[in-house]
Amino acid sequence: MATSEASTTTAVGKITQIIGSTFDVEFPENQMPEIYNALVVKDTIKGIEINVTGEVQQHLGGGRVRCVALASTDGMIRGMNVTDTGAPVSVPVGKGTLGRVFNLLGEPVDGRGEVESDERWPIHRKPPLLENLSAKTELFETGIKVVDLLTPFVRGGKAGLFGGAGLGKTVILTELIARIASAHGGYSVFAGVGERTREGNDLWLEMQETKIGQTDRSVIEQTCMVFGQMNEPPGARLRVALSALTMAEWFRDTTGTDTLLFVDNIFRFSQAGSEVSALLGRMPSAVGYQPTLGTELGELQERITSTKNGAITSVQAVYVPADDPTDPAPATAFSHLDAFIYLERKISEKGIYPAIDPLASSSRILDPQYVGERHYKVAREVQQTLQRYRELQDIIAILGVDELSEEDKLIVHRARRIERFLSQPFLVAEVFTGKEGKITPLEDTIRSFEEICAGKWDHLPEAAFMYVGSVEEAEEQAKRMAEE
Amino acid sequence: MAKARAIVKRLKAVKNIRKITRTMELIATARFKKAMDRASEAAAYTKKISELVADLSQANLEFHHPLLEKHESEQNAVLLILTSNRGLCGGYNSGVLKASLKRYQDLQAAGLNVHLEVSGKRGISFLKFQNIAASETYTHFEDRPTFEEVDQLASRFITDYIEGKIDRLDVAYTEFVSSSRQQTVVQSLLPIGALGSSAETSETAQKYDYEFLPSAQEILEEIVPTAFKARLFKCFLDAAVSEQIARMVAMKGATENANDMVGSLSAQYNRARQSQITSEILEIIGGAAALE
Repeated sequence: MATSEASTTTAVGKITQIIGSTFDVEFPENQMPEIYNALVVKDTIKGIEINVTGEVQQHLGGGRVRCVALASTDGMIRGMNVTDTGAPVSVPVGKGTLGRVFNLLGEPVDGRGEVESDERWPIHRKPPLLENLSAKTELFETGIKVVDLLTPFVRGGKAGLFGGAGLGKTVILTELIARIASAHGGYSVFAGVGERTREGNDLWLEMQETKIGQTDRSVIEQTCMVFGQMNEPPGARLRVALSALTMAEWFRDTTGTDTLLFVDNIFRFSQAGSEVSALLGRMPSAVGYQPTLGTELGELQERITSTKNGAITSVQAVYVPADDPTDPAPATAFSHLDAFIYLERKISEKGIYPAIDPLASSSRILDPQYVGERHYKVAREVQQTLQRYRELQDIIAILGVDELSEEDKLIVHRARRIERFLSQPFLVAEVFTGKEGKITPLEDTIRSFEEICAGKWDHLPEAAFMYVGSVEEAEEQAKRMAEE
Repeated sequence: MAKARAIVKRLKAVKNIRKITRTMELIATARFKKAMDRASEAAAYTKKISELVADLSQANLEFHHPLLEKHESEQNAVLLILTSNRGLCGGYNSGVLKASLKRYQDLQAAGLNVHLEVSGKRGISFLKFQNIAASETYTHFEDRPTFEEVDQLASRFITDYIEGKIDRLDVAYTEFVSSSRQQTVVQSLLPIGALGSSAETSETAQKYDYEFLPSAQEILEEIVPTAFKARLFKCFLDAAVSEQIARMVAMKGATENANDMVGSLSAQYNRARQSQITSEILEIIGGAAALE
């Protein structure tokens, strides 16, 4: 034990090869760093300071290890000295992290000085034991009609926002932060994985402005943010989610409060893995992804879970490449989630936002056992109506609405209203749309859809259902429209 | 592959629909010609006889035929709706039904007791859906209505009107104006005075001075019911022609829509197939390269 400690703290090796974002280091045979240990390269080459941390991924034999660089390898040369830190990358945890912005190494990047924290946790940790998992299932209200009705979130569960490019994943995620975090008493952790740096900045500013409930404190005071955005090398994007998760785990395990974890975008994590996979010498698997796609994602997702101690409620955005949900990366992410929201391009083309596909999206708890008989029935009726409308769409496209039977005409009539009623003005989009964001209580949502399905509001024009909260607001909008 | 296969399935369905609509279009075209010949033959006769009746009703005669007279209090109205037995004819049926529903409500609002008589399965099922009871339904008027069939109906209306069982008869149908224009109309056929008294006919009335042999009464008794029957027959003929035209137009549009859809689906399928092959090749090459 004593010898290994001595060896790990002092081991120094030399770089023998650098390929893209991976590099090989040769250590003395008896001082090999362990897998996942952090290695530090610190030197000045031609006046340029280099400070790169790497993570050991493979032992190649002959004292050589292969590492993934967690920062850019620009300027690195063979023969540089590499120091083994003797432990995996660790990040500061605790209440001192609140209100701060970090990179994946746990270094603050918001320019507000040192972090007041005396505890650091390694980013590689074991998922909670089976016996410690929480078995509670409870609905988590968001105030967004389509989400609450068709894909209810689970408190302490995981929800995924799937969507192709530009469908509004980040907007919905920001909206959820504004809605949930502002009404939420616990802590929030945001992980920016491989998305635009600008969006991260916007979010940071937004959080400083948004207040928690009726208090004077801004959301950021209860939140910590970790970013490894698009500009970072794949190694950084591969690990930043773990760093954020580690901070969230501290809140869960130590304070026992409900913690929120937002990840934008979990697909970038898989993508980063595939970027380094070939460099590590793994054979590409389906669609060029890494063969370890399932394992990598599983290790991350299994840690995002609620224990008897505390809960982590997580919302993750998942990019869907080429709008193809059968792509291995989103398909793998899908199986880990409780609630599944799929954003559809055809809906966003109609100008209906959030562009959530009411038929492709689902939730584990949309079950009478959890949400109650009435909610379940209304949700299913809405889906049936929309499903029938979708089936009829080819016929309508060819033969026209007049050829439908009277029953089908009525279904189409209602489906078109339901479709529009699923839109909702967002709090975070107020500045763009000029419409006040609407928070619709679950009870209003269920009642509104129930009445539309029953035909109580058949007389209102379709446009009246666009961007309103409850159905009474649709009626008001219809009156306003009639006056104009 | 799942995606490509789903597209092929849809493509097949659309192609089948196109086959049907194309056939329907051809059939409608053939039937339309026959129906139009019948309608235009009847049109001349109907026009002349209506003129004659209009003239007579305006001529200062002491005798008046009961069909020409308006009943003093209107209580019972009949609304005859002419729809088709078959669908796939675009907005033909819904146009007539919408207009007749409006007339039905207007008449009811005016405090009349309205009996609905419907011809055509489409109209029957519409009323059933709206929960409106029809007192008579007919499904035997196809695209070649015969005068005998209409005669029966007309005779009943005449007797009922003269006996005072009904005070008013409206017909909702699609009028055939020309082969490019048909319009949905609701016309009052009884009392006859309500129709055909346009400015044009009144001009001609002034030109002629009739001499009645053997007597005005005998002639009127003969000519007024005939005129009414001819009018009603004309409605049926018009409806038949309009139905065929509507079907022709609707099916032509449908075939074109189906063509467009086949085009876009084929393009989608080709793209899906191509990208699938590309990704498979990439995987094989990638795998082979990794093994080297």
